[in-house]
Amino acid sequence: MARLANLETEYPVLDSTVRNFCASHGIFSVEDFLIHDLYMLAAFAEQNNSSERLKEGIAQVLSIIDDMHQPWLNGMELLEDAKRNKHVFPTGIQGIDLLLGGGIRVGQLTELVGPSSSGKTQVCLRTASNVARNHLVLYLDTGNSFSPQRIAYFLGKTINPSSAQAKNQFLQKVMSNISCHSVFDIFAMFDVLHQLESYLRCQDGRGDCQMRLLIVDSISSLISPVLGSSSTQGRALMTSAGYLLKKLAHQHNLAVLIINHTVGGEGGYSKPALGDSWKCIPHSRLFLSCDRGSNNYNVSILRHPSMASGKAARFVI
Amino acid sequence: MEIWRLPISASQRGKLISAGYTSLSSLSSISSSDLARELNVSESEAMNILKVASHSRGSETSNASCSIVEVLDTFQWWAGAQSAWDMLHDEESLMHITTSSADLDNILGGGIHCKEVTEIGGVPGIGKTQLGIQIAVNVQIPNDFGGLGGNSIYIDTEGSFMVERAFQIAEACIEDMSEYNRFLRKDFQECKIKMQPQDILENIFYFRICSYTEQIALINYLDKFLSEHKDVKVIVVDSVTFHFRQDFDDMALRTRVLSGMALKLMNLAKRFSLAVVLLNQVTTKHTEASFQLALALGDSWSHTCTNRIVLYWNGNERYAYIDKSPSLRSA
Repeated sequence: MARLANLETEYPVLDSTVRNFCASHGIFSVEDFLIHDLYMLAAFAEQNNSSERLKEGIAQVLSIIDDMHQPWLNGMELLEDAKRNKHVFPTGIQGIDLLLGGGIRVGQLTELVGPSSSGKTQVCLRTASNVARNHLVLYLDTGNSFSPQRIAYFLGKTINPSSAQAKNQFLQKVMSNISCHSVFDIFAMFDVLHQLESYLRCQDGRGDCQMRLLIVDSISSLISPVLGSSSTQGRALMTSAGYLLKKLAHQHNLAVLIINHTVGGEGGYSKPALGDSWKCIPHSRLFLSCDRGSNNYNVSILRHPSMASGKAARFVI
Repeated sequence: MEIWRLPISASQRGKLISAGYTSLSSLSSISSSDLARELNVSESEAMNILKVASHSRGSETSNASCSIVEVLDTFQWWAGAQSAWDMLHDEESLMHITTSSADLDNILGGGIHCKEVTEIGGVPGIGKTQLGIQIAVNVQIPNDFGGLGGNSIYIDTEGSFMVERAFQIAEACIEDMSEYNRFLRKDFQECKIKMQPQDILENIFYFRICSYTEQIALINYLDKFLSEHKDVKVIVVDSVTFHFRQDFDDMALRTRVLSGMALKLMNLAKRFSLAVVLLNQVTTKHTEASFQLALALGDSWSHTCTNRIVLYWNGNERYAYIDKSPSLRSA
């Protein structure tokens, strides 16, 4: 929402008479304009000398505001969009795929929560290696835990090694589809996401290999340093990060997978970190845990748009 | 893009918003002197704000005007991202720091990895400080003998670094190397050990800190220190938890400070390609009516390291097991 003074270069209607009139009512920017009672403003404009210009000015500002909101969609368009674009990607882990009815869904934010060493990074690596066969994957890593060896291992398990060279070529092709970037604070993450947005806008509409999966490991390490201090900026950053990720997921048809950790709650139970404000942001939340000393992992649904919560499954990686 | 996503201070942000600048496009056409006048800040502050804003905006618009053909090539380029295939090859060329214990090296896959933060925890008296000193010495083994040939930084919070013990370890390390030399290169007499224990001790940079603010300040300072001393290959922090356990009333502050510190250490490890080793103490945790030993500082801290090794006694012997690792098996 810009100041009216700055808009003059683009829209010459908003010249100084209009601005002085608005200033006399305490309106300095488009935002103030919205807060004001427009009928009263129009009535005042009538009484003024140069009422025509003022009315043009007001109409211009209103049209600027009109341009800003998203277009309306009706139900049929949404359904078509869902059928055409919003596929489901299998994670490659049987237990999770069965539990989720196919896998993680494009256009939604899926969160993996769990105590330390419960397999969250492994699930992400597995999903990345699965999706990378046909699509591009971006992995944002905050803890240097992206392990190319593991990805090579997962990929090696799924193909028959006809020859070492063919296997190498396959590995190279698939692994070049995964791009890993280290971010160490939340502002860097915003930078990367905005660059991603511009890149996706250029890329949308081209048929071949497109980005379909974004993994953030882990969003809680980025947000914890800013959350909870006396200012509310931390929570604002957290919710805006959530909304940005959801917007990217929906508009550019990405599946977004984020990792959160747990903290101790009342009664000794662990609960997901980042608090109640974060709870409603991801579309689906899965809770992972690991049986000590074995390879068995448990996953249960905390929240999902189409599955009942509380269902659980076991899986092995 | 909104103003409050910029990394500027809260007071500057408040002034920007109250003056009506809530998006970056509104800052695009104003000069720094006008901005300084309207916000009532100094001109250098205004220039700073504009610089940060144009930097964030520039990275956005430069991509928007790219041609379609360039886009495919720039996928790997932007913002320093790397493809997994390149990283796999990089990883194969990374060396490990041996811990001088064959079994420990085995489960670690060769030793402590560079570019990762490894946390080692155990009960008091099990040998964590000794292990830390050993690693600080081992990193200086020259490349010929399979080591990294780098310097080390030792950050001591408890005061348990004994110079005499370090000297002993250095001597033992040199003896090891000369034996290795004699064993493998029986014919070549020219590869003599040029290192003396004093050299090894010279290459350990020692910092002693006495409070948590010093700890945070030191980690912030390490950035500059490492750009000057590029040879450093390992940072050992003895008892990263010591100053955070007692006398800390504000738990939320503790979590914030710790996670910020962990991220900075990760950043250092990645940028300068060094290994970070953190030593931690244990505490008892009440789970299901039984007492279990767990590493100090809680769940949020345990989430922040890359690898975790726990040392424990079993009878009269020391055991280690890997608690958390992205690429190694639990052992």
